[in-house]
Amino acid sequence: MKLQHYLGGLEGLPEITTLEKRVFVEEWEKRIFGIHVAMMGLSNHLGSALPGYPIDEVPTTFKDEWTWADLRTGAEAMNPFDYFKYRYYEKWLGGITQFFIDKGYVTEEELTARMTEPAPTETETKPEIDDQVIAYLRNGDSPRRDVAHPKLAVGERVRVTNVPAGSHTRLPGYLRGRVGTIERIFEGDYAYFVHTGDGIGDPMPVYAVAFDPVEIWGPRAEPGPETLYAELYEAYLEPTKEQS
Amino acid sequence: MTGQFAYPPDREELSAKKVAALESLLIEKGVITAQTVDKVLAYFETEMTPLNGKKIVVKAWTDPEFAEKVVDDTPAAIAELGLPEGMAGAEGEHLQAVANKPGVHNLVICTLCSCFPWPVLGLPPYWYKDPVFRARAAREPRKVLAEVGLELPDDTEIKVWDSSGHSRYFVIPERPAGTEDFTDEQLMELVTTESMIGVALAGPVS
Repeated sequence: MKLQHYLGGLEGLPEITTLEKRVFVEEWEKRIFGIHVAMMGLSNHLGSALPGYPIDEVPTTFKDEWTWADLRTGAEAMNPFDYFKYRYYEKWLGGITQFFIDKGYVTEEELTARMTEPAPTETETKPEIDDQVIAYLRNGDSPRRDVAHPKLAVGERVRVTNVPAGSHTRLPGYLRGRVGTIERIFEGDYAYFVHTGDGIGDPMPVYAVAFDPVEIWGPRAEPGPETLYAELYEAYLEPTKEQS
Repeated sequence: MTGQFAYPPDREELSAKKVAALESLLIEKGVITAQTVDKVLAYFETEMTPLNGKKIVVKAWTDPEFAEKVVDDTPAAIAELGLPEGMAGAEGEHLQAVANKPGVHNLVICTLCSCFPWPVLGLPPYWYKDPVFRARAAREPRKVLAEVGLELPDDTEIKVWDSSGHSRYFVIPERPAGTEDFTDEQLMELVTTESMIGVALAGPVS
């Protein structure tokens, strides 16, 4: 059980006194964000994405897959105390650096050395790399693969499954075992970047499911009219007993 | 154990050096170019910005037919507006607008990570990514909104959208009263990122 999967609804946290409206609070954060976007735009899976990118022709030495699933898996794998301790882009910096070390692109020694020595200034210009990254930003990477083939219907009461989560999930922990109502069936079947081991990965219907907060939180729900909606893959839902 | 809670004294300087070293090595090894990161950042400064969201909201305020369509078929409605190319690009592949109305207030959150509709709102502000906000807004949205200055009437329904799937949600706030004579440019100034996520209303009208 990972705290990161059960963040929604966690109690005992402090009052929110101000909204930090900046996207980046330190200049260095911009650099790691840019590196992450570049990795997503150069990821080797984009050759089979929609639209199909000519990824094999891009003159980058990056030959791995890097998607949100990789970044999220890393964040979900963190020591939960560290997850709260470090700022958003500190977590990215740690996860992305470790990825490049693990995959053999850079070594710890090179990184340590480069932190103290000035970098070489002469570099080859390969605009095709940058063009591919920007093309990815413009055209995206839709997970939709087909029209929907839903087994569940709008208005149907459904229970969220309680299948054990692996290293990564798209099922918010606070919804496990809860009963909600199908509000909407989305138009397509939607894949996920990876098979998470808890049922998602292959294209499948996705539903907007409405939950009464009292069903989720019991007597500790906040008073007043509220509805919580989550978008859930079909693998995370089952018909309630009274209907099956 | 104490090390768990201590930050290095040169925390930011160290991160800055680490990321500079990483970027420099990635350039040297041909993963990216010396321009890649700057080009990405420039793209977010010029094309994927909240200005797109503001234009969508103002169109919804001034064109009732569009207001209906932007909720029913968000991508098709947005495609009509002549916004920069790429509104269906990264993190905008499946945009979904939800509209506030009298008695109904929408709030977008992401309890698992930080899903955000990049093409129309740009990158998420820090408050949206804060684990405290993400945790608490799921359970006690009314209290959280009040803490950040948005006191909703007790009988206003709050709809909380947890972005756990493929859609990227944003809110069409209500048009403030007293803006009947405003130009589109004046209206756009009333629309903030916060109002398009649902932690604020549009305005105030000065």
